[in-house]
Amino acid sequence: MTDRPAHNTTVHVDRLDELVKLVRQCGQSGQAMVDYGVAHGGLGHPPPAGHVRLIQYGGVIEHYERDFVVRVAAGAALGDVQAAMASRGQFLPIEAEEDISIGEIINHNVYGPLCVRFGAMRDLLLGLRYVDGQARDVHVGGRVIKNVAGYDLTRLMIGSLGQLGVIYEATMQTYAIPRCVMSVDLSIEDPVAIDHGMPLWLVTDAAPSWLCLHRQANRWIGQLGFFGRGSSCDVQLRQLETLLQQMAGVHILGASHTTLATVRAQGSAYRRWRRIAAAMVKIIVPPAVTGQTCRKLVEQFGPYPLLSIDALPSRGCIWVGGALDALEAMELDQLTTPLLTAVGGVRVWHARPTDGETIAPFGPSQADWPMLEKIKAAMDPRDIFNPGRFLPAQEPAAV
Amino acid sequence: MASIQTAINDLRQVVGDAGILTDRDELLVYECDGLSVARGRPSAVVFPTSTEQVVACVRVLAKHNLPMVPRGSGTGLTGGSVAFVQDVLISTARMTRIESIDLENRMAVVQAGVLNTALSDAVARAAAAARADSGTTLAPGGLHFSPAPSSQHASTIGGNAATNAGGVNTLKYGVTSSHILGMEMVLPDGEILTTRAGALRDGIGPDLPGLLCGSEGTLGIITRLWCRLSPRPQHFRTVYAVFSSTPSACQAVSDVIAAGIVPAAMEMMDGQMIRVVEQAFGYGFPDEAQALLLIEIDGVEHLLDDELNEIVAICERNGAQEVRHCSDPVRREELWQVRRRTFGAIGRLHTAYFTQDACVPRSKLAEVVAHIVEMGKQADLTINNVFHAGDGNIHPIFFFDDDDPDQITHAMRVSEKVLEYCVAMGGTISGEHGIGVEKIALMPVMFNPATIDTFQRIKNAFDPRHRINDGKLVPSDTLRIELLTHH
Repeated sequence: MTDRPAHNTTVHVDRLDELVKLVRQCGQSGQAMVDYGVAHGGLGHPPPAGHVRLIQYGGVIEHYERDFVVRVAAGAALGDVQAAMASRGQFLPIEAEEDISIGEIINHNVYGPLCVRFGAMRDLLLGLRYVDGQARDVHVGGRVIKNVAGYDLTRLMIGSLGQLGVIYEATMQTYAIPRCVMSVDLSIEDPVAIDHGMPLWLVTDAAPSWLCLHRQANRWIGQLGFFGRGSSCDVQLRQLETLLQQMAGVHILGASHTTLATVRAQGSAYRRWRRIAAAMVKIIVPPAVTGQTCRKLVEQFGPYPLLSIDALPSRGCIWVGGALDALEAMELDQLTTPLLTAVGGVRVWHARPTDGETIAPFGPSQADWPMLEKIKAAMDPRDIFNPGRFLPAQEPAAV
Repeated sequence: MASIQTAINDLRQVVGDAGILTDRDELLVYECDGLSVARGRPSAVVFPTSTEQVVACVRVLAKHNLPMVPRGSGTGLTGGSVAFVQDVLISTARMTRIESIDLENRMAVVQAGVLNTALSDAVARAAAAARADSGTTLAPGGLHFSPAPSSQHASTIGGNAATNAGGVNTLKYGVTSSHILGMEMVLPDGEILTTRAGALRDGIGPDLPGLLCGSEGTLGIITRLWCRLSPRPQHFRTVYAVFSSTPSACQAVSDVIAAGIVPAAMEMMDGQMIRVVEQAFGYGFPDEAQALLLIEIDGVEHLLDDELNEIVAICERNGAQEVRHCSDPVRREELWQVRRRTFGAIGRLHTAYFTQDACVPRSKLAEVVAHIVEMGKQADLTINNVFHAGDGNIHPIFFFDDDDPDQITHAMRVSEKVLEYCVAMGGTISGEHGIGVEKIALMPVMFNPATIDTFQRIKNAFDPRHRINDGKLVPSDTLRIELLTHH
């Protein structure tokens, strides 16, 4: 590395001391360090010109196998971590594309259908090391399950969009690969049925280990499944069948014993559209109106056959988008405004057509953003990390 | 002094005569929390009943440049809600309104002073009413507020969030912050900060509620919380195993985890603690018992017996002298009584003790517990252990004579050595009690200077004038409260 990285270069960092040096150089030269990840390049305001793009080393540093805890370098791809864990009969209950790094998952709070049982990074992340805006090595949390020493900066970093520091190491909980896995596909005439059914499923023996909703070829498909031992999955399926007898318009299309790897591969296939969509927005609503919101989106945006929708009903999370042009994307943006206002939801655009920049990447604005700006100024006083991506670019403060 | 008296008069205007205590005798109760060796008398205690009153109280104190300390029920164990510099205590104990329960979205909105168990009781009533109204089995129900610290009948949800409280069920269900969706906090200048409010499970940007949980009242006063409700487990199996060696019991814990079983609770007490309980209540434990393990699993009824059999086999393989198990609620309660009565048993035999709190990797439990007992012997101190074994969250209990200041100081010094040892073993100085003033001197053992500086920067972002709970959790340049020098 030179004393001052060239503008618009990509720098590969393998070691902590290299990262510290790079952050120090960027701080001194006023250059932005940018890391939007491989799957979130369109999320937020674009990076400033003349930035340095960061690519980090990845790999499993240590697997505390008997403790069900793993420590990884932040650049580790999820697929590589899962493969390493699988060789020891364990897995990380986060579903995402295999090439997404652990750092990217934390920065963007990535989660998938398993969140209905295992939660999200907030529930799995035990410790972090990151380099802050003053090029210092900060350690928070650790490798134990419970830890209330100091402010919980591990959780603060989740979803921070890489604006508070550069994560270079993460420690997370893992779980045993289930001995028995059953996958169930549901045909759903009206997604509102999910809103009615979910509160009951979750408090019965039919509580799924994963749950998601997709719109495919103008049909709604629900996918859920059970993790267990022995014949417990069959028992859960029978319980689900009983429950569905009381719900009109929801039918089991098929159920089969399968493996975690197969479930993961199927999930990846379902999610593929999100990676290539010209326009895609993530909507968060109260869980009980997930199906209702999905239905309204289709009803009001129906003429466009290319509209794809995925949803995680237990979390009220909906991804909607497709091959939309700028006008269509703006129409979708305007359409979601009253839907979100009515239920107190929020939206984050993950991809906007190139000539659709007038679409605000986040909204509506939230009451805690001014405090987040103060926190950003405290942790990254020179505004080095992903400046302006979410929190507005700042005048660099004296350090 | 004139400033304090003027401020008290102003506070009285806000909360009325019934909402403020200033009498020295009445203030005595507020001199400490659960850490009885850390004492300080407040200038006054105010009891606002609404966010608006909290704002008004904070503004009065800001105007008079007086320090303040937030307090819930005062069940904390680290001196975190004690006024050491004649601060005014702002108690949220009378903010007890459950504002709404939303069964469909599995969420409740509560004022900060609502008791932990009061919320789950109210949720059960709301679910029953919903079932009765709808006349259908499809009505939602069976939800509760999952965090269950030992103090749950007395502690407030605001206090649980401020300390990120744990408890016996965190192994499977997580600590308090996993169950807080959002919160409202009154900042030290009287501004109201509202984070991700509502039923949303996600938001935009950094997870601010995650930061505020466990901030121990050093950033502001939590006044309202949006709580996640979780399915209440319906089916249980409870296992009780007695071992003649503590390492064997710890190995059983490790083996259960390694088998991929995630129990709802896995509690242990060591041989000395068993004898204390036996002496007090006469359960008939074997004389040679060195460890008692209480394991509970919950979930799908059909799955439980398989897991139960595996747990029993693991205990037996590790040399358990006696293994009992049950599925009926009455017997289950009897088994849990053994654990719940431990502190009652201690109280019958010892007048003074404090409970330490640390967390270590579960695979190192056996080694750590044996070493702590040895440290006690070498220091000529009685240290008993009762702990959340499944989390690796140990609670060594130090006994001392509270009429002997030297003995108190000695016990506290040994306790610090125990914590340093736990950090060296890959653990932390606090698993669930927090830092408060008790452990603040140990923060540099746990964290490097850059991390501590970051904590201070966060503190300054919220409280630039250090008005609220200064000297707790984060080492402060403006106020140092060192318990050991007090004794």
